[in-house]
Amino acid sequence: MNKPENRVDKIVSELLRGRRLKLRGGDAEEKAAITTAARLIAARQGPQRMNPAFRKHLEKALESAPAEHWLTRRAAIVAGFGVAAGAVTGGLVGRAMEPAAATPRRRGGEPVNPIRGRWVDVAALADLVDGQGKRVTAGSVGAFLFRRGDTVTAVSSICSHLPCELWWNRGNSVLDCPCHPASFTADGKSTDPTYPLPALNVVHVRVTDTGRVEVLGTA
Amino acid sequence: MTIDRPPDAVGPAGSGDVLQLPIEARATDIALGELEIVYAFIYARVGNRADAEDLTQQVALKAIPRLRQGAPASAIRGYLFATARSVLGGFWSTRLGLSEAELHEDLALAVPQVAPSEERADTVQRILAELSDNYRRVLELRFLHGYSLKEVAAEMNSTVGAVKVMQLRALRAAAKVEVSE
Repeated sequence: MNKPENRVDKIVSELLRGRRLKLRGGDAEEKAAITTAARLIAARQGPQRMNPAFRKHLEKALESAPAEHWLTRRAAIVAGFGVAAGAVTGGLVGRAMEPAAATPRRRGGEPVNPIRGRWVDVAALADLVDGQGKRVTAGSVGAFLFRRGDTVTAVSSICSHLPCELWWNRGNSVLDCPCHPASFTADGKSTDPTYPLPALNVVHVRVTDTGRVEVLGTA
Repeated sequence: MTIDRPPDAVGPAGSGDVLQLPIEARATDIALGELEIVYAFIYARVGNRADAEDLTQQVALKAIPRLRQGAPASAIRGYLFATARSVLGGFWSTRLGLSEAELHEDLALAVPQVAPSEERADTVQRILAELSDNYRRVLELRFLHGYSLKEVAAEMNSTVGAVKVMQLRALRAAAKVEVSE
């Protein structure tokens, strides 16, 4: 089974059955053979149009994405994503949409500690609805607030993989990333165990005696 | 007296008022039309629906900021195909471990000027025309007619093992054929 002709035929057979492309090792020529096989199979199937269900899904994704979910490099760095932000300049995010398998896992969840941080009044406790995320900004720090009784927690509003602004999906009670299929719970943990993303950064938050909610942000 | 109103507020349509259509809805329609072409372009390269859908979605989500600007379809297409090439590059790099230097073909493609079906049929015929008779035959039977290895072997008076080897050699040869699109 390790012979190249067997490896390539296995991939070809799966493609002919309509399955995904899968890697099974091999040299550069073998890889070139696989990409050519994919093109020939596509040619056999003729011109393809989107499946209506997929088109509908795409339409929904386009319409539900928040208007401002792309950050400047500076804002991304402030929120603790310096490495990922390097890919943002020029408007295009880097190529890989999924975390590389070889990349060491980062647990995430680090607190956002601006060097010249200051507490910024962002909301009244009474305005927060239990269990519902509320997007706020404290200078250059973006956060989602979550209230549980008299306690308020906050996580960064920026995805822990691609530096895109998350949005609160009220129906599923999760934070969704508009840039790739990733969601996070209110405590910042990735919802998909098969998609191992680090947890969202934690944002410092406090409730004052007068019932105001303050976030540690920037001037 | 002047009444302050947020710039995005749309008042009731009365005489002299201009009723503005929501720009997002119009941009979405244009984008979906263009994404159909992108989908066909990607499918023609990955050969399966699941990967084509994933990649098309990636292109769409990456391109949202541009789509929201209400740009004309021609400008959107250029941007979408630039994004599609980037996404395809990432796909091959992740799945097959190919470097960008090896991806010269997909990354160097211009925005297609013809319908995907014409582009594809023409390109495939040009590739096959460059191959030896045996190689062309095995690829035609296996990929264009969907024969099993056993059926190809019977058709070519050969064995399944020999056809497998010939299939790999034919694909390698086809990969080396330079075609301009």
